[in-house]
Amino acid sequence: MKAIFRNICIMFTVLFFGFSLALAADLKPHKAGPKDKCPVCGMFVAKYPDFAAQITFRDGATFHFDGAKDMFRFYLNLSRYAPGKKTTDVAAVFVTNYYDLSLVNGLTAYYVIGSDVYGPMGRELIPFVRETEARDFMKDHHGTSRIRFRDVTPAILKPLD
Amino acid sequence: MTRMIERQRHIMDFTLAALLRRKGKNGALLSVYTLLVFILASILFFTHALKHEAALVLNEAPEIIVQRTMTGRYQTIPVAWSDRIRQINGVISVHPRLWGYKYDKDFLANYTMMVPAGNPPEPGSIDIGSGISRMRGANRGDIIAFAGHDGQPRSFTIRNIFDSESQLVTSDLILLSEKDYRDFSGIPEDQSTDLALQVRNPREYATIAEKISRMYPDSRPIVRTEIQRTYDALFGWRSGLMIVIFAAVALAFVIFAWDKATGLSAEEQKEIGILKAVGWETSDIMLMKFWEGSIISLTAFLLGTILAYAHVFFTSAALFAPVIKGWSTLYPTFRLTPFIDFGQVATLFFLTVVPYTVTTIIPSWRAATIDPDTVMR
Repeated sequence: MKAIFRNICIMFTVLFFGFSLALAADLKPHKAGPKDKCPVCGMFVAKYPDFAAQITFRDGATFHFDGAKDMFRFYLNLSRYAPGKKTTDVAAVFVTNYYDLSLVNGLTAYYVIGSDVYGPMGRELIPFVRETEARDFMKDHHGTSRIRFRDVTPAILKPLD
Repeated sequence: MTRMIERQRHIMDFTLAALLRRKGKNGALLSVYTLLVFILASILFFTHALKHEAALVLNEAPEIIVQRTMTGRYQTIPVAWSDRIRQINGVISVHPRLWGYKYDKDFLANYTMMVPAGNPPEPGSIDIGSGISRMRGANRGDIIAFAGHDGQPRSFTIRNIFDSESQLVTSDLILLSEKDYRDFSGIPEDQSTDLALQVRNPREYATIAEKISRMYPDSRPIVRTEIQRTYDALFGWRSGLMIVIFAAVALAFVIFAWDKATGLSAEEQKEIGILKAVGWETSDIMLMKFWEGSIISLTAFLLGTILAYAHVFFTSAALFAPVIKGWSTLYPTFRLTPFIDFGQVATLFFLTVVPYTVTTIIPSWRAATIDPDTVMR
């Protein structure tokens, strides 16, 4: 009896996780409208589609940013920019892949800093889907380092200002 | 309110009657004015249509074109190069293109032959531009022959005749299949005319071009911005010549307006004096002069603009033929795409109608403030 209960529990857990994963994969990036402003710097996002980033929360709220830098600033300081929201509420993060300018998953992307490519807000973290692309970009554009989403801290953002 | 409108209406009535009284003088004035506007508007329309045409051409252009050179001259490019170029980061796709020119001795015309990227005609059939269709009197389903690289004629069935937005691009165009074009032009199987690259991020153009030159030192990558510069140069010198004419006409207009502004004839001064004597006020006279200026300049503006439109877009700017001769020999039946920019018409309006109307008011104000007795004596 106990074994059956445990099995059911495991089954439900697996189902639940599978479902939430499917939900996360289903999340599509929204196109920034002409009135969407970056909550960090206040610039209109639609004018700079080549660097755009966005964060979608579980409740459906979406924030658009004019670059990965402002997206990280927002993400690392939610209490200031989106009071009441926590990092666990984030459903999806999208950034613009440098080479093909498509919106890709920001959580798994590679970011190059210190390069000679500047976004609308100056020095930027340039996102890539593949590590090989990030490595080549570093060589071509004199990037200083290549980091992942979880490595980004306020200390890393500071010299980009 | 209605009183004011009535007053304007009566003054306008009087002005029109006064203008008609001096038919010869005002007619001459109107025709000179119309001619000036006509030339100015023709130049404006013409240069804008050229720029518009260039933009249409550029719309179709790929982001980067890779050519191969030998002893500094153009050469066909090996198709195999595209595999390595595709590996470069940021290059979305590489498409080897096949195209070239063909001079037709019998019709004294130059054709552009091209293998389209999508939906090419079946071997043995071709699509042709409306210019060729008109010139050779060929329609859909007809069989048409061209001499190939070895002098042997090859015949094709016409699948389609296309008309597109820009005649400059398509008027002389022939689309055919890859097999037919290789046979026609003698380009070997493993070679192509050039490579067209699709690149999404404009920031990478320079880096990609540099990598290609390093990879194949005898290649010549041409970035879209360079293509744009070439077109600008090509269309620019024609526009430049037009600007010189524009400057001359503008100067003529200034002299013309100055002549009007420096004074009224004794007859006109006398008329103003009489009007004042019969009880007109200075403001009434100025209003009359304002309407007179508006009527003449608006009529001239409308007439001149309409004539210029017809001149540029229906007769292919026949009066400017010597200037456009450069490509009219290449494209015998080339017509500019009608294109009007509201901004340019507004510019023309403010350059001609407004200054003229204003300059007619000042001398009449001077005349209207003089004592009628002195004027009439």
